[in-house]
Amino acid sequence: MQRVLVNIPSVPIFERVIRASADEVGRALGFSAERIEDLKLAVSEAVNNAIDHGNQRQPGKLVEVVFALDSDKLEVHIRDEGDGVDHVDFSRRIVEDHNLDAGMHRGFGMYLISALVDDCEVSSSQSGTTLTLRLYRKDNDHDE
Amino acid sequence: MTSEVIHREEFGDVAVLHILTNSVDAVSASAIEATATASAMRPITVLDFANVAFINSAGISALLKFVVSAKKSGYTLYAMNVTPHHQKVFKMVEMSRFMPPIEERDLAAYR
Repeated sequence: MQRVLVNIPSVPIFERVIRASADEVGRALGFSAERIEDLKLAVSEAVNNAIDHGNQRQPGKLVEVVFALDSDKLEVHIRDEGDGVDHVDFSRRIVEDHNLDAGMHRGFGMYLISALVDDCEVSSSQSGTTLTLRLYRKDNDHDE
Repeated sequence: MTSEVIHREEFGDVAVLHILTNSVDAVSASAIEATATASAMRPITVLDFANVAFINSAGISALLKFVVSAKKSGYTLYAMNVTPHHQKVFKMVEMSRFMPPIEERDLAAYR
């Protein structure tokens, strides 16, 4: 297994650094262009969640992202330094008239993550939350 | 009107808002939201995504401000030059119901 580790402060601009890393990792694994876009979006959502909700945008708190490249899959672990969560809602969320009228324009991130990766899981404690994303290699993926 | 993230083009009843940033995300969201005013829109308003390489949920949230402004004004909002990946994401959250796709050639009649 090969591992790529990236730490960022909890400042939104640095999410783009993680996203660029996801792009390179996806290419290294030979993922298709569409799967790389799925990976980038899922990782982006997870990192923004860690910055906003986990670390409450406190720049001194880090978001740690580990890309673990295996022969059959890619695992991405996104860890924050927040106080932990009791429950994460991955249920489907769509744009609806009543939500627009009520000014509720957010909350799509966890649903997008769950829909874009092969599986995902959350572990949380009082010292932080880790979201793990998995994308399994497919026959049409190829090594670079 | 030219701003940091949107270039506005108007002809007749049409406003085309060309998004200039390539990343519609948490960083660009507030600047995009700031342009989502009724005065920037026309009865037919088109968001042009030709320069956009990435959109996440923070960006979708910003784009929904255009949907709300259009709805309040009775205007129709369209999306142009949306990549297949972003079309997929828009369909996943049913954004495309509120901002259906339009082709450049469909606007020719208004020019």
